[in-house]
Amino acid sequence: MAGTPSRPSDERSPRKEALARFLAAASGATSVEITRFERLQGGSVAENWALDASFWGGSMAGEARLVLRTPSPTRLASSLSPAAQFAILKAAFAAGVTVPEPLFASGEEGPLGKPFFIMRRVEGTAGAQQITRDPRIEAASDRIAETLGRELARIHRIRPPRADLSFLPPYDEVAAERQIAGFRASLDRHGAPRPVLEWAMAWLERHVPPLVPAVLCHHDFRTGNYMLEGTRLTGILDWEFAGWGDPHEDIGWFCSKGWRFARLDREAGGIADRAPFYRGYEAEGEGAVDPARVRFWEVLASVRWAMLALEQSDRYMKGGEKNLDLALTGRRATECELELLMLLDPGGYA
Amino acid sequence: MRLAREVLVDELTPLLPPERQLDARLAAAAIAIALREAAAGDEPALAVAAELARLYGLEAPQDPGRGEEMLRRFAGDLRAGALAGPRERGVRKVLWRLTLAKLREGNPKFLAANGFEV
Repeated sequence: MAGTPSRPSDERSPRKEALARFLAAASGATSVEITRFERLQGGSVAENWALDASFWGGSMAGEARLVLRTPSPTRLASSLSPAAQFAILKAAFAAGVTVPEPLFASGEEGPLGKPFFIMRRVEGTAGAQQITRDPRIEAASDRIAETLGRELARIHRIRPPRADLSFLPPYDEVAAERQIAGFRASLDRHGAPRPVLEWAMAWLERHVPPLVPAVLCHHDFRTGNYMLEGTRLTGILDWEFAGWGDPHEDIGWFCSKGWRFARLDREAGGIADRAPFYRGYEAEGEGAVDPARVRFWEVLASVRWAMLALEQSDRYMKGGEKNLDLALTGRRATECELELLMLLDPGGYA
Repeated sequence: MRLAREVLVDELTPLLPPERQLDARLAAAAIAIALREAAAGDEPALAVAAELARLYGLEAPQDPGRGEEMLRRFAGDLRAGALAGPRERGVRKVLWRLTLAKLREGNPKFLAANGFEV
């Protein structure tokens, strides 16, 4: 990208000036002018800011449309730091996964006084309701599901040991049990009894599958976390929960009912049947999908979703955060409980 | 309450800027839940409590507060694995009844979308 952009007569602020100086130093530009810096909608665990800038010289010379991502004040404790997310995004980008190109990262000592990273902005929508309702997407749903299966397999091609990802905790034979113990601790903090979740966690404990070699799991690979421009995939987003794990963990999460939105009948992310998604995954040569393992992780996904929902509502119930969306999210835990009963006791309600 | 919800949905929400309409819809959903809970009263909780009492061989409680205590005991027993074996069938019956009762008040559309009677 070449050429000399015209300088805009945009309002200046100390924060934008500091950010412009950071971008200039990071890119080797002689000067950078920020022409847009505004928060994008959505994101309860992270803030995304649209950042348009003009670069004079350096590796980014010309106009650039970027996103700055930084933790929100209400980030979850399990979220990775921006520096860690940046490293994972770089690894995924290098592995050929369709992700926004990661460009720069900064710590607390940087221009915003809090850590962030910057990536190229990708076009399209991640709106899950829109994606699962749009008839144009419906017409291409098998192809999209197959593409997503391929993308997931590419993520899973990243395996330990990796010096650049050495900050990730190891995956071991008690990883699933550790998750279950974490859910129980979280449920105890929540306080209200949830018999269905207790019953499902007891089932999980009895059915932990044998350990498989670890892969990089996205851990939130689902409809709502990828961008489509028309029917073309433009980016896999939101890597703050990534870590080493069983590849079926991501497959179960993607297929779990909590992420089907307007189309509960479409088991692959509310967009298609499982077959094209599995076919795409297997076509990348990362091994066959094992339905029994997927089932285990799908049950765990429903428990995990329920726990997230309860934690979110406790931000209002216990933390006093005035947010109606968070308050109502807790109700979704019961939807997960119905799914758990349907998975573990099919036909049990007569 | 019903009128308040109608005014919110039909008259006020369309007047709001698009970025605040979601909040208005959420507020309407919260009112709808409260309306269903008020209409159902204590009956669903007492029915679950009666099922639990059968499971434990106790007398059915008449006080919803006692039902909450029993639910807490039930959850603890499930974690401890104290209800495995012959009582498993009764356990599942309680779990289904409890979940369907909650969703009838909290999200009957979801229940219907999954093929259950509301």
